[in-house]
Amino acid sequence: MKYIDHHEHVCRSSSRRSFLTGMGMGCAGLALSAMLQRDGYGSEHQWSPPTGRPHFAPKAKSVIWLFMNGGVSHMESFDPKPMLTKYGGKTIAETPFADTQDPKKLALERVIVPDANGNQRNTLYPLQVGFRKHGESGIEVSDWFPHIGTNVDRLAIVRSMWTTDSNHGAQVQFHSGRHMNDGEFPTLGAWVDYGLGSLNDNLPQFISIGARPYWNKSDGFYLGPAHDAVPLRVDPENPLDFCRPERSFSAEEQRVGANLIHELNAMRGVQHPQDSALAARIASYELAFRMQRSVPDVIDFSQETAETKALYGIDLPHCGNFAAQLLAARRFVERGVRFIQIQHGGPGAGAWDAHSNLKACAGLALEVDQPIAALIEDLDRRGLLDETLVVFATEFGRTPGSQGADGRDHHIFGFTVWMAGGGLKRGVVHGATDEIGFHAVENRHYVTDIHATILKQLGLDSRQLEVPGRKRLEIDHGNPISEIIA
Amino acid sequence: MVKLTANYPDMTITKRNSTFGIVSSGSRLERSVAKRIEIALGARKHMRHAMGAIDLDWQQLVSHESPEPARATQVLPPAAALKRHTLCLSSTTAWVACFFSIILTLLTSSTSVTAAESVDYLKQIKPVLAERCYACHGALKQEGGLRLDTAKFAIEGGDSGAAITPGEPLASLLVQRVTATDEAERMPGEGQPLKPEQIAALQTWIAQQAPAPADEQPEQDPRDHWAFRPIVRPIVPQVANSVWVRTPIDAFIAQKHEQSGLTPQVEASRELLVRRLYLDLIGLPPTVEEVKQIGVESGDGQYDLLVDRLLADPRHGERWGRHWMDIWRYSDWWGLGDQLRNSQPHIWHWRDWIVESINANMPYDEMIRLMLAADELYPNDSDKLRATGFLARNWALFFRHVWMEETVEHVSKGLLGLTMNCAKCHDHKFDPIDQVDFYRMRAFFEPYQARLDLVPDEPDLARDGIPRVFDGLLDLPTYRFERGQEGQPDKSTAITPGVPEILAFTDLAIQPVPLPKEAWQPERRPWVLETYLTTARKKLADAEAANVAAGEKYATASKQLEELVKSSTPDESKRASVETSVAEARVGLHAATFALEAARIELESVEKRAAAMRAAWAKADDASGEAKLAEAEASTAAVAVKAERRAAVAKAHYAVADLEFKHRCSPEDKKATLKTELTVAREALAKAEQSATTAVTSADRFTSLAGAKWTPTRTISTLEDDPLVEFPAVSTGRRSALAAWITDRRNPLTARVAVNHIWARHMGTPLVPTVFDFGRKGTPPTHPELLDWLAAELIESGWDMKHLHRLIVTSSAYRMSSSTVGMDANLVKDPDNHRLWRRLPIRLESQVVRDSVLSLAGTLDLSRGGPSVPMDAQTDSRRRSLYFFHSNNERNLFLSTFDEAAVKECYRRDQSIVPQQALALSNSGLVHDAARQIAERLSQPTAPAGPQPDDEEFIRRAFETVLGTEADSEEVRASAQALESWRKIPGTPANDAVDRARQNLVWALFNHNDFVTIR
Repeated sequence: MKYIDHHEHVCRSSSRRSFLTGMGMGCAGLALSAMLQRDGYGSEHQWSPPTGRPHFAPKAKSVIWLFMNGGVSHMESFDPKPMLTKYGGKTIAETPFADTQDPKKLALERVIVPDANGNQRNTLYPLQVGFRKHGESGIEVSDWFPHIGTNVDRLAIVRSMWTTDSNHGAQVQFHSGRHMNDGEFPTLGAWVDYGLGSLNDNLPQFISIGARPYWNKSDGFYLGPAHDAVPLRVDPENPLDFCRPERSFSAEEQRVGANLIHELNAMRGVQHPQDSALAARIASYELAFRMQRSVPDVIDFSQETAETKALYGIDLPHCGNFAAQLLAARRFVERGVRFIQIQHGGPGAGAWDAHSNLKACAGLALEVDQPIAALIEDLDRRGLLDETLVVFATEFGRTPGSQGADGRDHHIFGFTVWMAGGGLKRGVVHGATDEIGFHAVENRHYVTDIHATILKQLGLDSRQLEVPGRKRLEIDHGNPISEIIA
Repeated sequence: MVKLTANYPDMTITKRNSTFGIVSSGSRLERSVAKRIEIALGARKHMRHAMGAIDLDWQQLVSHESPEPARATQVLPPAAALKRHTLCLSSTTAWVACFFSIILTLLTSSTSVTAAESVDYLKQIKPVLAERCYACHGALKQEGGLRLDTAKFAIEGGDSGAAITPGEPLASLLVQRVTATDEAERMPGEGQPLKPEQIAALQTWIAQQAPAPADEQPEQDPRDHWAFRPIVRPIVPQVANSVWVRTPIDAFIAQKHEQSGLTPQVEASRELLVRRLYLDLIGLPPTVEEVKQIGVESGDGQYDLLVDRLLADPRHGERWGRHWMDIWRYSDWWGLGDQLRNSQPHIWHWRDWIVESINANMPYDEMIRLMLAADELYPNDSDKLRATGFLARNWALFFRHVWMEETVEHVSKGLLGLTMNCAKCHDHKFDPIDQVDFYRMRAFFEPYQARLDLVPDEPDLARDGIPRVFDGLLDLPTYRFERGQEGQPDKSTAITPGVPEILAFTDLAIQPVPLPKEAWQPERRPWVLETYLTTARKKLADAEAANVAAGEKYATASKQLEELVKSSTPDESKRASVETSVAEARVGLHAATFALEAARIELESVEKRAAAMRAAWAKADDASGEAKLAEAEASTAAVAVKAERRAAVAKAHYAVADLEFKHRCSPEDKKATLKTELTVAREALAKAEQSATTAVTSADRFTSLAGAKWTPTRTISTLEDDPLVEFPAVSTGRRSALAAWITDRRNPLTARVAVNHIWARHMGTPLVPTVFDFGRKGTPPTHPELLDWLAAELIESGWDMKHLHRLIVTSSAYRMSSSTVGMDANLVKDPDNHRLWRRLPIRLESQVVRDSVLSLAGTLDLSRGGPSVPMDAQTDSRRRSLYFFHSNNERNLFLSTFDEAAVKECYRRDQSIVPQQALALSNSGLVHDAARQIAERLSQPTAPAGPQPDDEEFIRRAFETVLGTEADSEEVRASAQALESWRKIPGTPANDAVDRARQNLVWALFNHNDFVTIR
């Protein structure tokens, strides 16, 4: 496995002079680290920016991060609770599970302003979908996700997640590890991008596809915009912002122009031989022109077989859109992109936010089920699943009690996330919620435990990535979920 | 069989039946270790401690083939020296745990005893103690009476006795506490335990008698920290290189050069300097003519004149206003959909105040005072009240605590260089700021709320209004939150406003500020009633005109019908449509008549209400209690109530008539909806009519013509507004006291922080790299004397920022070339230019990139001020970028590519270099259009009727225009070659106005590194 590109290493090394001698490809960012260096942080505090090498031997090299905006019901997906059906219509106080509402157990919620969504939902709402056992592991998956069900022996399901923001700010929290009222912090993808070098000189290393409704469009924050995800659309005509000339300008004209820009910039290097910014600028133009050519190729599926396209459901109206995003994700992973963040569920609070008409989520599941299952299968048969972590996440679960006649409210005390590949165990369930899916009770995990698990598989130690002046808390680092690591 | 981690390759723990054993290879240490175990087993106290403290999940450890390394290494130090011992005992799990703990302790001690290598206190011990222990056991704090910042202090110890006993690592309290397995016992109290190698080094050091330098100095007293010391103007040093010294700044810089044996880089070329000054001072590049005005050979006279001219240019306020907008967190409003959740509508008034104030050279201290407390200092000055947008911007709909905390954090960081936010949850770890100080600072702001004040000629606050602050909740207590948790306020003590003790150089003297009537009864401002009256009159005039138009339309249609009927050969096919027009026009006229009536009565209502309000003021202002005034108030009020009710009826009538008109004219499928609306409107009319006929009582009130409106928060419930906050007649005086303290010349931080920000933006690098942290965790200044001299100069010049700008940009330091050519000796001594022997190039800020493109194209719209350009108008707008709508949620794509200011915190812009910038510059229509316009212009003859410039001439002019420098022969050659290549490309679209290849050359120059760089 190729961990690190030579040029990238040169670019990120702490010596600015070697930066220049390595004036080549892959130096996409010269932001924070160089600034800190310039400011003398490096010498004063013996701090140096990441080298781009993993801190220890990695198990995985890429992450495909699938995030369901709005909050998927854990009970209707991967954490069946027959007790809900048994006691459906009763208030929680009338059931044997009354102690789940003990105020002490509810203390971790950080609701600053109570609103319609922050109320307790007391009347248990029966399960709205059937479950069946799948695979050799016999893990139960709801009938909303039959395709993922057939892949259950490849999944590591964590049924004991918790978070603290009971509104959709939890989307931010799932990515940064912090409640939105604490301020803004780099997201997991930014840390990965910051910590690890490039595997490909022609593509951005951190890609975001789909709407990010409730959270800022930045990822890097104090790590600098060089570590923001590059927003990408699966549209060969317009995959990246400013990817195509907005006025008539042929590829040939651009080629001549690119050569001239390179030549003129290089000439200035004579007067400014130590100017690392000039070197980085030259490299960034080269990368940009290559990206401009490469990205459309990646999302051009003409070389994919009909069988593969059918597997993802590319031509099916109900899931074709998401299928194309996931097929693109596989193609990006094949080309060495580190972190591909795909959001499903559109703008607003997110489509999965089923305050009413929970059953409509069946339609959302239809959009993602086949493509996700296909992605896992496709990665596996290509031998890529072992080095690619696929993550299925959402900001929180839904209340066991009903909201209105047919909905479930936000629920932070217990929910489910699953991962596949990347050196994790296959076909395991870890952790558990109580019998009505209210609290995570067994092997409880805060969202940063997912981050820690991923970083560990990628060979990164988050503590070694700390930046001077930006002290991180213990909870920011989280703990790897060792029980699901193979 | 369990294997203990990689750190213990020689040691295994075995379990056979219920017998546990530690197996290791035998050695000469055997007897020593065995003896220690005996001693330990005999020491019951020690055993109890070990049993109580045990934190090792033995079952888990033995049940795994390989225990998790991280866990074991937390507890176990490396035991490389241990060879082989076998010890067995039969035991319960608890016994095993106890035993295991003892073994660990023994391993610990045997390591230190046997380690041959010596430990360097200064390199291996002191940095660890400084990083992990000094915050509580150093100069800042002495928890348990203990200091660890010198070895001597550690030996002296604290309340629990000596922390270290030289030669006795095991007996040293420090070792016991850092290796304790009980988390409550273990130090450091926060964060990860010390690393095994750190503990091992500590033990070895103690075992080796804890040697430390004899002259070891304790940590500096926090009060002596450089930034907390008063600002004293240093003496300008005498330097050898006196010819280089143009301003005192240069003397300080030269002194550092000479101390380090550095030679300053030569001055940049005149054209580069001119470009530098233009971009730096007004944020736009010079034209070729402007560069040529400043002759290459001219001395300082022309340079200084140029500086004066640019500082006097109104574009200077736009350029430097944007810098301060970064630091002061300017943001247009944002929310969810149309719901305002953060900042304020029309906050651009604050932006305009910033720009105008900088252009007027308002002193920095006055700007700070106005931003914090104009409502207390100048309660009737609408222009100055705009300054409080600084605080109004922090407004948040739901999250009161976030609003308050951000205010404390950014007033502290932005104006004082203090990280008070670190003290939200606990005492500051590095600076003498207690947790309560955070809440004392918050108490200054606790009462303030936001409101919109009416501006002349616009009675609709949704369209315009000045966002400003006022003290609304005068008695709202401030509580300290336990561990910063808003859910855990300590209600035993209400916190009063105050500043950290170390900075309390004066009494704050907080005095309530009585406000003039116009401040808390803003409807009394002279223009307010007039604005309502004028608007009502204008509406009436509009309604009259509309009525006339509707009448004419009806007349025309009627005439058409009449003619059609009268015609000898009436065209029956037209008849139906003409009849429809007539009918519609009739209903239209009907509606217009009602609209006119409504407008007339509305004016009456406004007039009567204005009269009633004036009568009420006359009565309120009359101290004698004259009965006539009271009568007048009562009668005018009754008239106003009636007038307002009549206006409501007229308005309802009009609504009905208008809906009837729409219903008449709408297509069939819309009729049902309109029918329903019509029913509702008729009901409303009936209700209004009923109200109008009810007798007016003294309890009835008319709607006052408001001069301002409180911006309602929803901190209690997200579904409805909080109870109305009135405008009190008095302000607490807290914020003006805070402002006075911040701008007091004795405040050691304010001026230093300000000059550092100014310096950084001129020179590309700050003197104090941690621009928002001047505390002990921050980085000390590279040029402390220069910083203090500049700070003193700022204060003593009357906080004159233009004076400071002039001083900096006329210095030799500012004028140096950024090249490193010929400076190999300097590069060896100071490769990172810490001592400023050359200039640092600066990447243009986002706004300057876009503005420069437009400016060079000659299309920049230089109109100043006013509402922010909305997102959907930005693509076509040619306004300067600082006028673009810019919030947390909405920002211009092109600008955000170049590190646009983050609205939540932006004390320094990033200068990233990412491929998206290359894509934006090479593909955006903005650049392509500008390239075409410039190519067209540069292809014109230089003299009237002169020849068109040839390629070489064009290339030279393009370089001068876009990059501000002359092209050298190599650049001309490469460019000419590219022109040739472009011309050879078949199928390139023809362009009559300009040679396509030349346009492409200008495009390429926009993509040149030096276009986005201040060299």
